[in-house]
Amino acid sequence: MSDTTATAGLQGQVKWGRVRQSRRVSDKVLRVFATASTMVAVFVLFWILGMLIWKGGQGISLDLFTKITPGPGTAGGGLLNAIVGSIVLTFLGIAIATPIGVMAGTYLAEYGKGSRLADLVRFINDILLSAPSILIGLFVYVILVMPFRGYSGWAGSVALAIIALPVIVRTTEDMLRLVPNSLREAGAALGAPTSVVIRQISWRAAKAGIVTGILLALARIAGETAPLLFTALNNSFWFNWNLTGGISNLPVTIYAFASAPYDNWQQLAWAGALLITGAILALSIGARSLLNRK
Amino acid sequence: MSQMAVQDAPSAAAPNKDAKVCIGVKNLDFFYGSFQGLKNINMNFFDRQVTAMIGPSGCGKSTLLRVFNRIYSLYPDQRATGEVMLDGRNIISNNVDINELRARIGMVFQKPTPFPMSIYDNCAFGMRLYEKLSKSELDDRVEQALRKAALWDEVKDKLKQSGMGLSGGQQQRMCIARTIAQQPDVILFDEPTSALDPISTGKIEELIEELRADFSIVIVTHNMQQAARISQYTAFMYLGELIEFGPTTKIFMDPEQKRTLDYVTGRFG
Amino acid sequence: MVAVYERSYQNATKVTRKANPFGFDPIFAALSKAAAITVLVLLAGIMASMIYGGWPAFREFGLGFLTGTQWDTMNDRYGGLPAIIGTLSTALIAMMIGVPLSLGTAIYLTQLAPAWFKRPVGTAVELLAAVPSIIYGMWGLFVFVPLFAAYFQVPVSQVVEGMPILGTILYARSPSGLGILSAGIILAFMIVPFIASLTRDMLDQIPTVLRESAYGIGCTTWEVVRHVLLPQAGVSIVGAIMLGLGRALGETMAVTFVIGNANRLSASIMDPGSTIASRIASEFNEALGMQMNALIGLGCVLFFVTFVVLVIARILVSRVKQY
Repeated sequence: MSDTTATAGLQGQVKWGRVRQSRRVSDKVLRVFATASTMVAVFVLFWILGMLIWKGGQGISLDLFTKITPGPGTAGGGLLNAIVGSIVLTFLGIAIATPIGVMAGTYLAEYGKGSRLADLVRFINDILLSAPSILIGLFVYVILVMPFRGYSGWAGSVALAIIALPVIVRTTEDMLRLVPNSLREAGAALGAPTSVVIRQISWRAAKAGIVTGILLALARIAGETAPLLFTALNNSFWFNWNLTGGISNLPVTIYAFASAPYDNWQQLAWAGALLITGAILALSIGARSLLNRK
Repeated sequence: MSQMAVQDAPSAAAPNKDAKVCIGVKNLDFFYGSFQGLKNINMNFFDRQVTAMIGPSGCGKSTLLRVFNRIYSLYPDQRATGEVMLDGRNIISNNVDINELRARIGMVFQKPTPFPMSIYDNCAFGMRLYEKLSKSELDDRVEQALRKAALWDEVKDKLKQSGMGLSGGQQQRMCIARTIAQQPDVILFDEPTSALDPISTGKIEELIEELRADFSIVIVTHNMQQAARISQYTAFMYLGELIEFGPTTKIFMDPEQKRTLDYVTGRFG
Repeated sequence: MVAVYERSYQNATKVTRKANPFGFDPIFAALSKAAAITVLVLLAGIMASMIYGGWPAFREFGLGFLTGTQWDTMNDRYGGLPAIIGTLSTALIAMMIGVPLSLGTAIYLTQLAPAWFKRPVGTAVELLAAVPSIIYGMWGLFVFVPLFAAYFQVPVSQVVEGMPILGTILYARSPSGLGILSAGIILAFMIVPFIASLTRDMLDQIPTVLRESAYGIGCTTWEVVRHVLLPQAGVSIVGAIMLGLGRALGETMAVTFVIGNANRLSASIMDPGSTIASRIASEFNEALGMQMNALIGLGCVLFFVTFVVLVIARILVSRVKQY
């Protein structure tokens, strides 16, 4: 301290402490606000997870996985049919969306690179990526439920596929763009035509990224409720492989049971919510680690 | 000046005066969009000889190389006009199957380009496309190619491992093996050693020397000593034009053009 | 198999090549193009089906469909104004709360967080974005709403009762916790992780030299953010915010749980209301005839509003590629 004073005295001017107070204050305010915002976000995540584990954990039992959903006023019951239905709908949706999405992403990154069509498709795909999912439900209702006069598992899968598609298109294109052009040239230099270069070199080099995209799409549609409300609907019966009727599924069951007046229904809704969120978070983390490992 | 010339004295084998023409280039122009990258190139490349192309960066030597296997056709805004004759056909005309052409004219790139697959699959890639071979024939050809590329002893126990796991020099030799496995007529080398350390570079140069027995070789290099060490013919290019072409000895010891002399003696470039 | 050419080598075997074995090549290219066009067809299909399904309602009620306040299923009279206002006001509230929180989070993640802390916190924020909206709805209805009613609605209503303006927009006639404001707050929590991770990615793209040179002349973090980062990424951040807005406008399940689903228009944001999406979700399955057309018509309105927002957003976001 005395040192500083001595120097200041020596040179006749103040070296330190020239930063205006207002600058320090505004900086402090920013730091506090930014930190607090992040804490709020993280806090909400843990609050939601805590709530799910607390309320849903009580409902986790063997019955959950072995019994079907109970009717009104019936005791007990489980979610077996809803779980199976959800798995089938989700995987069917992904099975429809993956080939189209990967091929479309391939077009954007390989064949159409720089073309106007590719620019337009990329733009529209980005719009579709953020389009409200309930509108996709309405769309599928108009094209598949109305003409065939009935809710169906197929309609539900198609709705989920439309939601998954833009995610897969986007990640496939992004990942293919990361493949160095020199690899494509090297493949072509050996006489491989474009389709062989794409399938045997580009896709292979981008495999981890494309799989990540598919997993993220899976996570995205696994919890979708709105588009299933008017397409797959729901039922309380045992899962039927004939996908032409309504099909029970977790999200719509949770929606219907959560605010129902029966205790066992509410309990099942919480258990279902825990299951579905756990599955989605596990998928998201898995997808991310797959990409980071690469 | 004479000392410089002595330093760069060509040490490669003398050219074979009886060699047949393998690629004949006539009135070749090349355009990147509206920019002209090559201006009226006329020259011949000889069978089973090493031809080096030298010149400052941007002079068009790589561009010329990329015409021979039409790799430029991957990019819609690049085009070539003129005549590049191979076995009686103009390869830059539309009546040539590009993929077949590329199977006949192999290319090794500046940076190693291992495909994301095993060493074996890397080497078998080109053969699987064009030839119907039994498993044992394929095994033979892969081994042959790897032996020729002086890589066999280093990788024979790990053929099933990924080609990406090799060192840079090994990767480059694997890429050479991949190219020669297909048994092309011509092999194009685009600055194949510029990303490698001196020891790997030495190995690749030895390899090129040996490959000359079977293949016509065109090599682009910015390293004049390298050109002098391994080539029978040298072409000096500058600003998209071919300034001088001739036996390597002549280009390095007694060039006809002043610009060539300036370049090979290090006065510019 | 046709021998295209043969050539013997001094030290090698003879090669016989097949002539063009790649008939599949053009088919693959066509398939890939067709898949890309599918994306266009889907969006066009959504647009067409909304117009087609909503047409009877537009024809029947004309402009009154947008301005009418009655949603009368008994007499088949449908006016969409309450739902449209509800959609816009919940989204507005969500943006007012969510945008500052998102930007704060993005700034913390890119500028302030210690290196070892960035990954876990960044992942947590991204996971928050992955939580399905129905879970936000349940959290909102069973956890947030009771707390909100007891600790915010009741005291605030008591304070503002009788006051001009505030007494209208903040007074809750029945403090149940459900309503426009609750929905807006839940929406804000839903868009924070979304906007925050997009903004973080944009801030990360700004070359480090720029930041370092600003710090190098003695700028504080605030000054670097204010004078270097925001001007550089500003347009794209607005784009990210618009993407968040698009999400808030169309969000369905979370809103349906907490908004109260009232069909009438109220001047107070503490009162129950409805949004287009919540109206469709709660009524569509029981709707018949004109009611269904009216609901699809509302969907059509939602489609065009979000479409415009998303188009602007994407144009703004794409500017970031200039780096």
